Amino acid sequence: MAQRALPQSKEALLKSYNKRLKDDVKSLLDNFSEIIKLARVEEETQVSRMTQCEEDHFEMLVRASNIVRAGESLMKLVTDLKQYLILNDFPSANEAISQTARSMLAMQQESDRKLMALRDDLAADLYDLEEEYYSSPFK
Amino acid sequence: MANSSMPIERLQALDNVEKEIASCIQSAGQALTELSKDKASMKQVESHTSQFLKTLNHVEGELSKHINYLTQVSTGQPHEGSAYGSVKMYKTARHRLEHTRSRLQDLENLKNRALASTVRPSSAQNNP
Repeated sequence: MAQRALPQSKEALLKSYNKRLKDDVKSLLDNFSEIIKLARVEEETQVSRMTQCEEDHFEMLVRASNIVRAGESLMKLVTDLKQYLILNDFPSANEAISQTARSMLAMQQESDRKLMALRDDLAADLYDLEEEYYSSPFK
Repeated sequence: MANSSMPIERLQALDNVEKEIASCIQSAGQALTELSKDKASMKQVESHTSQFLKTLNHVEGELSKHINYLTQVSTGQPHEGSAYGSVKMYKTARHRLEHTRSRLQDLENLKNRALASTVRPSSAQNNP
């Protein structure tokens, strides 16, 4: 399909979605791998082991929060995509409208068909009733 | 890209992506929980980690697919189609039906009144 020229705002919006996706996935991967790397116990250097442990613990907390933040940002991206899809997915919107129109038309035709059948039955009964009425002393 | 599927299917696909994101983070948490144990089973850690990576890959692929589809089909114009015409026709058919029902109800009431008036004089004659 030939690429139509999108308005700049829409193009920028879709590019921003792509960027957000890449950034969040990268953040998830990087933070997870860094936490795994921190699990290695290294030899005591300038800082004491206790201090190093505290530092590693704090870093793990921060990286875990980053993982959760990136996950929530991905969820927000999915929500934004859903909203964009509902508003701008023309083929699906056209399909939904056609299907609604078809079902409304089918129900209307069914309703009218039954009404016509009722009319025919009433007309037949009316014929008999009229005959009865006009041949009675009450007319 | 496949032909346009119903909007509900695309939205359901995005719902599944949301669930996968949650399970991806859960796998990451399970991998780290396993690693933090005194006697960590490396097999479990590896399996959770590979599950995390696989799910993340899948999430990225699905979302890229959706974004590419939207890049192709969006025009920037608002959608101005509606099913108003056919809905209006259906509503007028319902009005016709309701009108017929009310006229038949009137006829029913007329018949009942007539029956009641024929029964009352005959019961008055029987009980002077």
